[in-house]
Amino acid sequence: MDGMMVDGALLAVIVAAGLLTWLTRVGGPWLIARIRLGPAANAALEATPGAVLVALVAPAALSRPSDALATLFVCLIARRVPMAVAVALGVAAVVVLRRVM
Amino acid sequence: MSTISLPSPASVPREVALGAVHALPILAGAVPFGLLLGSLAAKAGLTPLDMGLMSGIVFAGSSQFVAVELWGHGAPGLAVVASVLLVNLRHLLMGATLAPRFHGVPPLRAGLALFFMTDEVWALALRRGQGLTFGYWFGVGLTLYVGWLSATVAGTLAGALVADPAAWGLDFTFIAVFLCLLAGLWTGVGSLPPWLASAGAALAVNALTPGGPWHILAGAVAGGAVAAWRGKAVS
Repeated sequence: MDGMMVDGALLAVIVAAGLLTWLTRVGGPWLIARIRLGPAANAALEATPGAVLVALVAPAALSRPSDALATLFVCLIARRVPMAVAVALGVAAVVVLRRVM
Repeated sequence: MSTISLPSPASVPREVALGAVHALPILAGAVPFGLLLGSLAAKAGLTPLDMGLMSGIVFAGSSQFVAVELWGHGAPGLAVVASVLLVNLRHLLMGATLAPRFHGVPPLRAGLALFFMTDEVWALALRRGQGLTFGYWFGVGLTLYVGWLSATVAGTLAGALVADPAAWGLDFTFIAVFLCLLAGLWTGVGSLPPWLASAGAALAVNALTPGGPWHILAGAVAGGAVAAWRGKAVS
């Protein structure tokens, strides 16, 4: 295949996917700037970052006992050491735990 | 919460450098996945140029895996685009939480900055709190952008280079990063109810549609609903 030619259909897919993805990125601030939020909606919005992070990790973190233990380990050290250290120790822990469990 | 500040000209290099340094552990975890995505894309018939265009224009890792997978199986273009949109809908919620920081920012600058908003950029921006500057934002964003673009193109050039990042525990990098960021959001036991609701909903929905993006939206909505109910009870 000629590396300098891009398939037209694929290019259309990439551009459309890119445009829609950009809209999801700018859409949040754009929408919030145009609606007034009550106390309940504000509380929901304030809790959203944590809820999204929990939802992102929950299935994978609890997928097997070794990963669940490593997750617990990272939670325990996360507030005590710099992030890069906690991440490195967490990855090391999961490699060891997956071997032995 | 105030608007993201423009760093004073003197502090721009420092802010950009700090963002780049904070992005490094994330980049170390993302590069093997970029190489893997590239090798999968090569198998799906994409050229290095195709891969570079996709990473450069879409710049959203999980959705790119979905797109390459579907394209490789001959799915119609519309289905590929719809799937990418679905996976990336979570950006709406993330962006909404950053809304106060973008209030009054000129649209062009906001639009450019938000182009770089991945899960990781968003989470690091939250963690920076009031000290968030555009210098820091672009330091994180551009580091991840250049790294992701290079890794995915290199992976396509190399073909089947990285067998399985999970064998090296690298899939856990993202979990660990997100756990650290979550720990930064902890304000006491009051943080727990929305988090538990989110975990429960995410696990339940993930069991029904494994690997799909729905569990993220389900968790976000469940956590938000519990917080809204509690917020109402307090006020």
